[in-house]
Parts: sequence; C-alpha cells; structure tokens
Amino acid sequence: MLARAAADFYWMGRYFERAEHTARLLDYHLGRLVDTPADVLAHGWQALYSALGQPPPVSITVTDDAEAFLVADAFALAAYLIEDPANPDAIIQNWINARDNAKQLRPWLPVRVWTCLNDGFFWLRDCDFAGYWARGPNSLPARVMDRLRLLSGVIEARMSRDDAWRFLVLGRYVERLQRQTALLQAWSRLSDGNFQMWTGLLGVCAAYEAYCRVYSMVIQPAHARAFLLSNPEIPYSLSFAVRRVQTLLSGIDPAGGRYPLRAPHRHALRLSAAIETDLQAPTEDVETGDFLADFAQECRELHNIIIAEYVDYPLERGLPS
Amino acid sequence: MVSKADTSVTTSTPSPGNLGPTAHLSFDRARPSVASPAVAGTGAFTHYAIDSRFRDEMFRSDGTLRAATERLGTALNNATSEQLMQLQDGVRRRFLHEGITFTVIGKEEAAEQIIPIDCVPRVITASEWDHIDQGLRQRLHALNLFLKDIYHEGWSLRDGIVPHDLVFGCPQYRMEMLGTKVPHDAYVSVCGTDIVRTHDGFAVLEDNLRVPSGVSYMLACRAAIKQAMPRLYRAHNVREVLPYPEQLYSQLASLVTWTQTPRVAVLTPGRYNSAYYEHAFLAGEMGAELVEGRDMVVHDGLVFMRTVTGLKRIDVIYRRVDDDFLDPVTFRSDSLLGVPGLFHAYRAGNVVIANAPGTGVADDKALYAYVPDLIRYFLSEEPILANVETHLCRSTEGLTFTLENLDKLVVKEVGGSGGYGMLVGPHASAKEKRDFAKRLRADPANFISQPTLALSRAACFTDGRLEPRHVDVRPFVLRGKEDTWIAPGGLCRVALRRGSLVVNSSQGGGCKDLWVINEEQRSL
Repeated sequence: MLARAAADFYWMGRYFERAEHTARLLDYHLGRLVDTPADVLAHGWQALYSALGQPPPVSITVTDDAEAFLVADAFALAAYLIEDPANPDAIIQNWINARDNAKQLRPWLPVRVWTCLNDGFFWLRDCDFAGYWARGPNSLPARVMDRLRLLSGVIEARMSRDDAWRFLVLGRYVERLQRQTALLQAWSRLSDGNFQMWTGLLGVCAAYEAYCRVYSMVIQPAHARAFLLSNPEIPYSLSFAVRRVQTLLSGIDPAGGRYPLRAPHRHALRLSAAIETDLQAPTEDVETGDFLADFAQECRELHNIIIAEYVDYPLERGLPS
Repeated sequence: MVSKADTSVTTSTPSPGNLGPTAHLSFDRARPSVASPAVAGTGAFTHYAIDSRFRDEMFRSDGTLRAATERLGTALNNATSEQLMQLQDGVRRRFLHEGITFTVIGKEEAAEQIIPIDCVPRVITASEWDHIDQGLRQRLHALNLFLKDIYHEGWSLRDGIVPHDLVFGCPQYRMEMLGTKVPHDAYVSVCGTDIVRTHDGFAVLEDNLRVPSGVSYMLACRAAIKQAMPRLYRAHNVREVLPYPEQLYSQLASLVTWTQTPRVAVLTPGRYNSAYYEHAFLAGEMGAELVEGRDMVVHDGLVFMRTVTGLKRIDVIYRRVDDDFLDPVTFRSDSLLGVPGLFHAYRAGNVVIANAPGTGVADDKALYAYVPDLIRYFLSEEPILANVETHLCRSTEGLTFTLENLDKLVVKEVGGSGGYGMLVGPHASAKEKRDFAKRLRADPANFISQPTLALSRAACFTDGRLEPRHVDVRPFVLRGKEDTWIAPGGLCRVALRRGSLVVNSSQGGGCKDLWVINEEQRSL
C-alpha cells in the first residue's frame, strides 16, 4: 500500500477515536448535570479538560450562583469541545480532518464509508447545538456517538481486511492508548480517592458492569484503575488496546513480528510487558502516576516509530533487493 | 451553506389516483396514464421558448418534439412541477452525498463546490453519434501523427502545412521531446474534444490533449440519472459509457512492453487541484494507485513509489500534472509536484507517461485552425468534423478583422482554458472591449478569434421550470497500443445562466447526462 495513503488511513483512525473519546466523556458528564452538585460538576469539568490536555475556555469555578454555572458555563465548556472553530481539537474539527483525509483516500475507501462520513459531516456542520442542548445537554454528544458507531459499523461491514483497514484501526488504537492513559492520569491525580469519580470513569469506559462482575458493586479506586489498565477484555483498557496494536502490526508486517523484531513490534511488546509485569496488583497512587507518565511517553514514541518504519523510512532501505 | 433538508432523505408514496413520483420515469408499478406529447410553450414546457437562431435539441422549429426526444419530452410533460423538482433534488443530493466536487480557482471561501447537475438528459441518435465517433477517430489519428512528425522528421513543417514559428514558438512545445521514442507512437492516449452544434451541424470547438478533465462528471451524471429515471433510461436503449475506467486501464496498460501486469498510477498535483475528485475517482475505478510527486522516486532510471513495505516500481503514469511541473530536473526547477529524474526514466523507455510531454502544442488554439489541413496532409482524407471559423491574430489581416469586429467575436488566448482569459464580444461592456483591444495589440500572437456561435440549446430544469439552455459536449477518446475507444456519450456541459454561452463549471456552467440512443427502443 502507498505509504502516504497508509498514513492518511492511520490519521483518519486517530481523528475518529479523538472525536469519539471527547463525545464519550461529554455524554457521561453532561448526563450528570441534572442531579449532581455544582462543585462536584466543576471538579468533573477540571478532570475532563485535564484528561483532554486542553485549557478550558472559561474559568471553572462555582460562584454563589450555582445555577449560572450550570446553565451558562457548562454550555460554554461543552460547546468549546464540540463545535468551537477556535478549538483545533473540537469534535467537529476532528470530523473535518477525518473527512479531509478521506478525500485523499477515495480510491481505497468504499463508497458507503465515504458517504456515511460525508453525511455525518454535513449533519454535524449544520446541527443546532443550542437546540440539542435545550432537549438535553448530553443529547448532541450521544448523537455524535451514534454517528460514529454507524461509521464504525459501515467500516467493519464494507472494508476488506487489507492494509488500509489495518492502518485505520491501528490509528484508532494508538490514539486510544494515548487518550486512555491521559484519562487515567487525570483521574489518578484529581479524584483524590473519590469513588464516585471512578464509578463514572468505569461507566465512560464501558467497564462498570464487567467490574461489578469481577469485584463487586463497591468501587475501590485502586481496583478500578488496575481494571482499566490491565484487563484484556475491556475494549477501553490499555491492555486491550496494546493487544490490538500487536495484532494489527502482525497483519501489516508479518515478517517484522519474527526475531529479530522490527521496531514497532518490539515497542508494542514492551508496552504489553509493562502492563502485565508492572501492574499485577493495585498500587499506590504515586507509583501508578509514575508508571502512567512513563507509559504516556512510550505511547507517543510508538506513534513515531510506526511512522518512521512504514511511512518516512530512508529510501535506501526501501529499494527492492 | 447546505440546509438540513438537503441532507435528509425524502420519500414519496403514491396515493390512489396519483401515478406516484415521476411515474413515466421510474419503475413505479402504477401504469402511466395516456401520455400527452409535449409542445413547446404549453404544459410543463410553458416557459420553453423556441428561438429560431439556435438549434433546439428537444423541439423542432414548429414546437413539436423531435423523434429522438419524443419519449423523454412526453414523460417530462406528464410530470408535475413537484415531481420534476423531486427528480432534480434527487440527482443534486446524490452529488452532494458522494462529494462530487470541483474547486474554483481564486475563491478561497468556497473553494470546494458541488458541480451543478441538471436532471434532464440531452438526447442524440446513434447515427448522429457515429458521425462524431468517426470524426474524432480521424482527428486524433492525425494529431498523433502530427506530434510524432514535429518531434522527429518535421515533414509537415518543411512542407509548409503549419508555420514553423507556430510550433516552435508555442509554450507547450518541448524541445526535450525531440527524438524521444514514444511507446507505440501514442502521444495522446486520452483526449477530450469539445464539440458544439449549430444549425450547420456538429463542429469541433477545441481539442484538449494535455490533461482533459470531466470524465468523472460524465460517469457520475450517468449513474445519477440512471437511478433517477430508470424506466425511461431502460426504454431508450442508451449506449453505455460506464466501461470508461476499464477501457482507460486497458489502453494505458497496453502501452507497456516489458511486463504483462503493469502497475498503473494516476499522478495528481494533490487535493487542492480543481479536478482532484476526478483523479481520485479514476484511480479508484481503475484499481490504480493515486500518487503525488512526493510519493515517487527515480532510481537507476526506474520509477518507484513508496509503499509501506518498500519501494515498488511504477510502469505507467497517467499524469494529471502539466508538463511544466512533471520533473524539476528537466522542466521547471521550482516544481514541487513532479519527480526529479522522471523525464530521464521516460526517455530511457522505463516508464510510460500518458499523455506524453509536449502534446500541448497540438491543442494550442492557434494550431487548431490547421487541423483540417493536417488531416488532409497525413491521412489524405477530408475532415469528417468541421472546425469553427478561426482568425489568427498573429496575422495582420486576422488582427485587423478581430479588432474591427470585436463586438461580434469571441476572442481567446491561444493557451487558455477553463473559460478564463476570453472575451465574448456580444456580451462584453465597452470598457471590457477597450481593455481587451489593448491586450490584443500588445501581444496579437497570443490570441485567436471566432464568430460567436449559435450553440444549440437543450431542455434544462432550472428555477423550478423547464427552459432551454446552451450546451456543448466533450466526448473522451482513448488510444492505446492499437485501438482507439470512444465513450459513446460525453460530458454535456450546459450554460446554466439564461442567455450565457459559457459552459465552464468555473464560470457558472453545469453538466447533464448525454444519451446516445440506439434506433430500436424498448417498450415501457
């Protein structure tokens, strides 16, 4: 596959995942507006913005007028993440970026995938955020997630499992690794042992029911953190994402998975080993924080290694023998 | 801005007593009622005014339907305004959803636009088309021989068929091509020739031999219209244009001599190019690679593209990049779109480039005037398709005539395209004419003039009603190792603004499907 096209698929996958990640967080958080004290909500916004690595557009402080915070500031905080043209990481911007990439991939992209993506863009571009907000603050993120799930479904149904698909999904999981690590970092730093925040995080990561089956309904932050780090059956756990990355790399470059391992395979193996050996048992916050900081750095490095190996490699290395 | 309604799916259910939407056109199970034939100026064609100055594609001069358009015109006449609107909306929405776009040069704020499509097809009979087909084959054959001649022996120049300075002074003439062997002498593998129709018949307006575009819109129009009016389409027994991509692939692949399984790539300037949609479309349909200059490298005289598993050789490049930008080592050194060393690989015979560099000299608007002579010279035949009367401003008589008749003529730059840099005398203001006259006097060799043609008009559904609009057609001709293949149809361009003669999409034009119908019709 053409290296530039592979990179475009990879980035398209990353943009999808970014949009979905933000929508998922907003869906959960905005769903709590109805019954959560304002100061707890404000704390949640801080954690959310911290996890996304973005400075909030307005100050997140609850004044005497909690109502004003709920109605006005929450709207501004949500709008910034969804549709603000000033925010390069807003959901709409990620959708635009994914569509721009898709335009360059038309020869490889099934028509249905393109039209689904294109229709989604028109819908999001023209949708009335204030109107959705009036119907329910989390109704728009929920619809965004529906659109993204539809797109994922069309991709799964229509794309052959070739390198185009592999790079697209690889992008999704590399992005997921980075975003989920940042999420766990933010929650470890800001939750202060608050089990409610961890309950919410398990919900955001589609892991609450599974957690209850493995442990119990009593949520212990250390258990929840370990669960989201190392349970290989939870789609949003780090372990799950690393395993998917390893599988995809094996498909893209089967020879690279045999010894001596090529750089991306080696690095993915290191990430897998780190999760499985360093975090067998619940650990102290400080240790986990250090681990996550290192892990985040390794995830960024994984991206660089993939690009260097498959896209920007030296020409001499690529010549046919 | 596209409203929500634009992206929603609308459906309509036939009600008792109602034939359902476009019953005459679709596969609606209800039988159409007894159809009343259309007459210009009545029924659905109330606003359709016949103008005797222009040949009408739908109606005869007495306002009755032509034989070829009887079925289409009758179906349109029996559809309500709402049904026609629904039809038009359906094809337009299809273009929107599929992102069938073009880019308008110099309009940053609305760079990417959906190409306007009209839902009413233009109809041409098979016998009329066969005449065009033969004329195009003849023309392309002669032009290929001419190109081989000027880059080798130059007999046509020595014999005075074409002036030396017209060829050697043409910016598209490539000295580097002198003596270069072109695979199977197929200098032009893809040609798009603009053909107009007047009361005098069909005539060639210009040849596009460099990187003719528009074929994707032809195919998209056909797909959209087929879906919108399947019943009528089937009944008309229309000749099929959809095999174009596979024909393009096989014609390009046939030019390769060193392998049976060549790797074909479409070279695009990138996503900001006005025809990027088309480049991506063709690559996808052919199963070819869509590459940019930065994806390729020349090594040991071979051309490679960078894949995820190393460099892979490319055998054929269907380039959609102008000569100037193909290779910064040979042509423009500041080009970032090309591949350093590509021309060296081409001269060494290690890659096929279609169309060959230097073909632009034969689609220069000044050289156009000599094409009938070239046909006579190289083929010893009379031209099947006529040329439009052309005055070369490079000659004193041509310049004088042009300046004296500026208000009646269309003046074009010899190397211009896309409707830019031209003056339509009858529609120009006094100031525009004065300014253009200055430009003419300053550089007369850069201009030609032609009479303002009475382009034929076809029915269009515009502003909620059926009205005539001026049209032309760009058929696409493919030439490979031995064969020439012509898509039986073409991009029918339409000047959507009332009275306008400019059909270019960048200047307010749109497109419509062109049906070449076989004589024997199927029953509805």
